[in-house]
Amino acid sequence: MSLPLIERAENDGIRFVLSQQWPQTSPQPLYEIEPLASVPRIPQRLPEPGEQYRFHFDMTQCIGCKCCVVACNEQNGNPADINWRRVGEIEGGWYPDTHRLYLSMGCNHCLEPSCLIGCPVEAYTKDSATGIVLHSAEACIGCQYCTWNCSYGVPQYNAERGVVGKCDMCYGRLTQGREPACVNACPEGAIRIEIVKTEAWRGEYSGSANAPGLPSADDSISTTRITLPDKLPPEIRKADYWRVRPQAPHWPLVVMTVLTQLSVGALATIWFLQLVGATTRLGVAALGSLLLGGVALASSTAHLGRPIHAYRALKMWRRSWLSREVLLFGCFSMMAGLYAAALWLRLPLSRGLGGTATILGAAGITASGFIYLVPARPSWNTRFTVSDFFLTAALLGPLFAIAIGAAQGRPLVLIGVATAFAHLLNQALRFLWLIASDSFELHASARLLCTKLARPFLLRGALMLAGGIALPLYGSHLARFAALPVALAGEILGRYLFYVSVVPKNMAAPYLASQEPAA
Amino acid sequence: MSFRRMLGLDILAAEYAYGEDPQYGHTSEQKIPDHWISTTCGYCSVGCGMFIGVKDGRAVTVRGNPNHPVNLGKLCPKGLSEHYTLDAPNRAKHPLLRKNGKLVPVSWDEALDTMAEKLRTTQKRYGRDTLGVISTGQLVTEEFYALGKLVQLGFGTKNYDGNTTLCMASAVSGYKRSFGSDGPPGTYEDLQKADVIFLVGANIADNHPILCQHLDANPKKTLIVADPRVTKTAMMADLFLPLKPRSDIALLNGLMHVLIQTGQIDCEYIARHTTGFAELVRFVEKYTPAYVGQITGLSEDQILKTAYLIGNAQAVFIGWTMGVNHSTQGAETVNAINNLALITGNIGRAGASPFSITGQCNAMGTREAGFTSSLPGYRKFENAEDRDQLARLWKIDADRIPASRGLAYPDIVEAAVSKKIRALWIIATNPIVSFPNLDVLKQGLETLEFLVVQDGFHPTPTTELADLVLPAAIWGEKEGTYTNSERRVSKVNRAVAPPGDAKSDFDIFLALAEKLGCRDELFPGWTCPAHAFEEWKHVSQGRACDYSGLTYALLEQHHGIQWPFPDGTTEVGTTRLYADGCFPTADGKAKLFCIEWAPFPEQPNQQFPFVLNTGRTVEHWHTRTKTGQVPILEKMSPNAWLEMNTRDAQSLRLKPHDRVDVISRRGSVRNVELRVTEIVAPGQVFMPFHFAESNVNRVTQSAFDPISREPNYKQCAVSVQLSGSAKEQRGKKVRRKKISMGVSQ
Repeated sequence: MSLPLIERAENDGIRFVLSQQWPQTSPQPLYEIEPLASVPRIPQRLPEPGEQYRFHFDMTQCIGCKCCVVACNEQNGNPADINWRRVGEIEGGWYPDTHRLYLSMGCNHCLEPSCLIGCPVEAYTKDSATGIVLHSAEACIGCQYCTWNCSYGVPQYNAERGVVGKCDMCYGRLTQGREPACVNACPEGAIRIEIVKTEAWRGEYSGSANAPGLPSADDSISTTRITLPDKLPPEIRKADYWRVRPQAPHWPLVVMTVLTQLSVGALATIWFLQLVGATTRLGVAALGSLLLGGVALASSTAHLGRPIHAYRALKMWRRSWLSREVLLFGCFSMMAGLYAAALWLRLPLSRGLGGTATILGAAGITASGFIYLVPARPSWNTRFTVSDFFLTAALLGPLFAIAIGAAQGRPLVLIGVATAFAHLLNQALRFLWLIASDSFELHASARLLCTKLARPFLLRGALMLAGGIALPLYGSHLARFAALPVALAGEILGRYLFYVSVVPKNMAAPYLASQEPAA
Repeated sequence: MSFRRMLGLDILAAEYAYGEDPQYGHTSEQKIPDHWISTTCGYCSVGCGMFIGVKDGRAVTVRGNPNHPVNLGKLCPKGLSEHYTLDAPNRAKHPLLRKNGKLVPVSWDEALDTMAEKLRTTQKRYGRDTLGVISTGQLVTEEFYALGKLVQLGFGTKNYDGNTTLCMASAVSGYKRSFGSDGPPGTYEDLQKADVIFLVGANIADNHPILCQHLDANPKKTLIVADPRVTKTAMMADLFLPLKPRSDIALLNGLMHVLIQTGQIDCEYIARHTTGFAELVRFVEKYTPAYVGQITGLSEDQILKTAYLIGNAQAVFIGWTMGVNHSTQGAETVNAINNLALITGNIGRAGASPFSITGQCNAMGTREAGFTSSLPGYRKFENAEDRDQLARLWKIDADRIPASRGLAYPDIVEAAVSKKIRALWIIATNPIVSFPNLDVLKQGLETLEFLVVQDGFHPTPTTELADLVLPAAIWGEKEGTYTNSERRVSKVNRAVAPPGDAKSDFDIFLALAEKLGCRDELFPGWTCPAHAFEEWKHVSQGRACDYSGLTYALLEQHHGIQWPFPDGTTEVGTTRLYADGCFPTADGKAKLFCIEWAPFPEQPNQQFPFVLNTGRTVEHWHTRTKTGQVPILEKMSPNAWLEMNTRDAQSLRLKPHDRVDVISRRGSVRNVELRVTEIVAPGQVFMPFHFAESNVNRVTQSAFDPISREPNYKQCAVSVQLSGSAKEQRGKKVRRKKISMGVSQ
C-alpha cells in the first residue's frame, strides 16, 4: 500500500525516521533496568490520510514536578518568562479527601486552530503529514492576534524578538524519531504522542479533550486527549480562581481604534452635512479627519513587533478579520483623501467619493469590531463590542464637526446627545450582562470593573456624560468646543478599560502569580 | 534594543536557531555543547546520573544519563536547570576580608594567613575547643575526609558538626541504636519489589520526584502514606493516613500491637536476630487501636487495614524523611520504624527495608567519612579499639583522637551565645535561613570574635555576617564522589573552571593545612581528591562502608556502585545490608526499643492556635542560594506562601492571596501570601522554608532531639493575622464604607 503522506512529507523535504533512537553512552546497559522509558512514548508510524499526531496527557500520572516545563524551555532556548509548556493546578474536595491535580499542556494542535484562522500573514500552517500546527517566526509580524484567539493561551509573544512562538510538538525531533522534549523529560510517562483519526475525533472529542481547569474544546477542537481520574473531587476549580488581574492595555490599539472611529465618524458627518447642504469648513474638516486616520494607522504599527512588515497584514484578507480591517481602513484612507481633495478643489464627484469613503469606513469599523469577536476573550465576544465601536464613531464624529466649526446647528448637537445616551445605555447593558453571567471569565471581568478598575470605570461614565451630553447642551461656544476633547478622553479611557478588563479563557495556572498570560 | 530589531528586520534568529546535537538530536543551537562531562547531580541524595554539556568553557545544558540505574535518564526541574547555578550572578569570586566593617577583596594568601592566625590565637587564648566548625552535606566525600582530619587533628577542636544534623541526624542515631551502625539497609530497587510501600512523613513527589518512577515500575504495590498534610505523595496513595501532627509513634506502636495480637509477625526472625521483644510485647499492649485512634485521629478501621496490609505482605518497604527526623523524638521514631521492620522480618531482603530517604547529595558521604558524629568509617568515638585502629592507620598518637563526640550543631550555636565558642568556620551552608529560631543564632554569630564562611555563593544572608568569606567551587567545578541514599557511590566530575579566584574546598583545606604546618602530616603527598580517595579506601576497609574495592574508573564504568565493595569484589550488583541477619552490635542482634508516644513540645493554645508545619516545594533547594538564581525555577515558584484550611480562613475572615503575618512566641514572618486550601487540616498551617525573604525560621523553636540533636522544625504554635499594610488598606476601606453609610443614613 502506498503511503501518500510520507511521499508528501518527503516532497516537503522532511524525512521521518520511524525507529526510536536512544543516546547510548555504553553499548549495553549495565543494570537490569525496567525503565518506563523502554515503552515507546511516540507512535512507531506516521499518520495515514485522515489521521494526525496528538498529545495524550495522563492526569492520573502527573505529579506536577514541572520537568516538562524546564525541558521545553531548554529545548527551545526560551527565556524563563516564556513557557510553551505550562503546568496548571486544579483542586477540590475537603480535607483529607482533597485532590490537587495538574494539567501539563503545550499546544493542542487543534483541528480548527483559531490561531491559524485569525493570522493575517499566514505565519501558521497545519502540517499536512502530521497535523502539527506550525508557526513561522520569519513570516510573523508580531501582531499578537493569535494570542487573543487561542483559548488555551498557547501562542506567546516574545517581546525580545518581536514575534510570537509556540509549541510545535518538537517537530524537528519527531522527524528524527525522537521524543519531544516534554515527553522525554516526564519521569512519570504522563505525556505521550498518539495518532488520532481526525473525523472520528470530531464526534468524540468533547468527552476526552475537556477537563476541569481547561476552556471548552469546542472553540477549536483540541486534539489533546486527557485521561482524567475515575472520580473527580467535588467543587474542583482552578488554583488561580481568585487571582484575576487586568490585562495589557495595548495603548497603540486604544489610540488606533478610537482615532479610526473618530475619523470615520467625522467623515460621515461631513458627508451628511454636505448632503444637507452645508458648506462651511468642510474641506478643513475632511483634511482633519484624514490626518486623524493617518495618526491612527501609524499608531497601529507601534503595536507590531515588526512594524517594517506591517504591509504583510493585507495577505490573508480572505480569512482574517485583521487583514480585512487593514485593507478596509487603507481603502478608506485613500478614498477619504480623494474626498478631501475633491472638497478643497470643489470637484463635482465629491458626494460620491464621500459616500464611498463613508461606506468603506463603516466596513472598516465592522471589521475592527469583528476582530474582537473571539470565543477566547468572552467579554469582547459580544455584539456590544461592535455597537460600542459604532457609537464611538457616532458620538465623536458630530462633536468633531462642531469643534472644527463645520456645523453650528442644533440638529447635530441633538444627534450627538442622543448617541451619548445610546452609548451610556450600551455600556450599562454590557455591564449588567457581565455581572449576571455564570461564566467565570465574564463574571471576573465584572469583578475587575467593580474592584481594581472601579475608579477609571466611574470616571469613564462621568466623562461621557460631560462630553457627550452636558457640554454640548450647555450651548456656549467654548463648551461645545470643549465637548470633543472631554468626550475623546472618555472614549480613550473606555477603550483602555475594554482592553484591560477582559479576562481571557486560559488553562488553569498555579496558585502563585508566576505564570502571567502573555497578552 | 537595536534599530534593526525595533523595525523588525532582526528577530534574533541566530540566538533562537535550532541545530543538531550529534547525540541528542534537534535542539536549540545554544544548547549544543562541544563536549559532555559525566557526573552526578549536586542537589539531593537521590543521586541522579547526568551529563553536563560544555561549550567554550561554559556549561550550557545538562541531560539525564539514560543508562544510570537511579534516574534512567530523567531529572527533576532543579537538575534539568542545574547548569544555571554555575554562572549565577551571586557566585563568590574572591576571598573577602572585613576591614573597617566592610568586606573587601584580598588575596588567598592574606585570607588564609589571617584565618590561620585568628583561629590559632583564639584557640590559644580561650582553649582549643573554643573553635567551632559547621560543615555541610554538599562537599565530595574526599573533601569531608580531608576536612575531618584538618579540623580534629590539625586544629584539634572536636566541636565540629555538619548541617546534616538539621536533616538526617535522627536517622543516623536511630539506625545506630537499632542496628549498631548507621547505613540505610535497602536500595531503590526495593521500591520496585515491595508489595507494600509505607511512607511516613515523606513527600517524595515534591522532594524526590525521580524516585516516583521506581514506584511506578512496581505494578503490584500498595502505597500507604502517613502524613498530616495531603501532600502530592499522599494523593498518590492507595491508603492515606491523615494522622495528627507527631502522632506517628503511636501509629507505629498501634500497628505492632495489632500485628502481635494477630500473630502476623516473623517469630523466627525475632528470636534469631533481635533482642528486647518480650519487653516490646508488654509495652505495646496499651496501644490498642482505640487508644491509637484517639492520639492519631485515625479510625480503628484505618489502623487495622494498615496492619493487615503490612502483616500480609511478602515485602514491606518503610520509607521516611523529614516528617520523622525533624522532631524532638526523631531518633526514637526511627527506632519505632525499625521495630516494625524487625518484628515483621522486613529487612535485608528484596523489597523489604526500613529506609531513610536522605537529603543532601552527599549527606551520606559526611556520615561515612566525616569525623563529626562518628569517626571515619562508622567508627565510634567511645570505642578505644576504633580509635587505636585509626591512629595506626594514620600513624599518629591515639590520644589525639577524641574519646567523645564534640558539640552538635545546635549546641555549637548555644555555646557561641555563651562564649564557649569564640570563633566559627561555616562551610557550604546558610544557617541564617536554615537554623530554627533565628534570633538565637544571630545572637550567637554576633557574639563571635571571628566568623569564617566558606561558600560557593556571596552574598548569602550568612556570608554577609562573616569576617572572612572564602569563595569555593561548587558542583560541576570539582572532582570527587557522592554517596546517595541507597549507598551508591557515584563519581562527580569537573566540567568548568570555578569563577574568579574561587577554589575547590579540597584545595582550600590543603592550603590551610599548609598554613597550619600540618599538611605533610595529615595529607602526605596529596595534591588532588584521588589521593584522599585512596587513603579513605584504606581507612574504610573492613568497615560497613567498605570502599576498598572501588576505583574512580569502576565508578565511571558502572554509573556508581553501592558499598560495601571490599577489595577483591568482582561482581557489581545490588547490595543490601543485614541480609544475613547479623548486626554490628555487641551480641550481633538488632535491638528493639520501647518507644513511648509523647505530645510535641509546643502545643497550640488560644493565643497561638495553629500548628505550623514546614517543608519544601519541588522547584527549590534548601535556602535558595542556588535555585533562587535560576530564572525558570524562580518563575515557577517566586515566593513563599502559607497554607491554611478554608474553615480557619473563613473564621479569621481571610481571603485567598491575602498577605498575612505568622507569629509565634519567638518572632514573626511578615507579609506572606495566603493559600486557602483543603491540603492542610483545620488547625494546621504549612509554610515552605526556602525563602530568606519570608524566613519561617523566625518563628520555629529551639527544641532539639535529646539523642540526635535534630531540631523540631515540624510543629510549633503560631497565630496568623492579616499583614500590617494589608490591614491598613482594608481598614481604610471599612472606614470609608462607614462614612458613606453615615452619609446615606
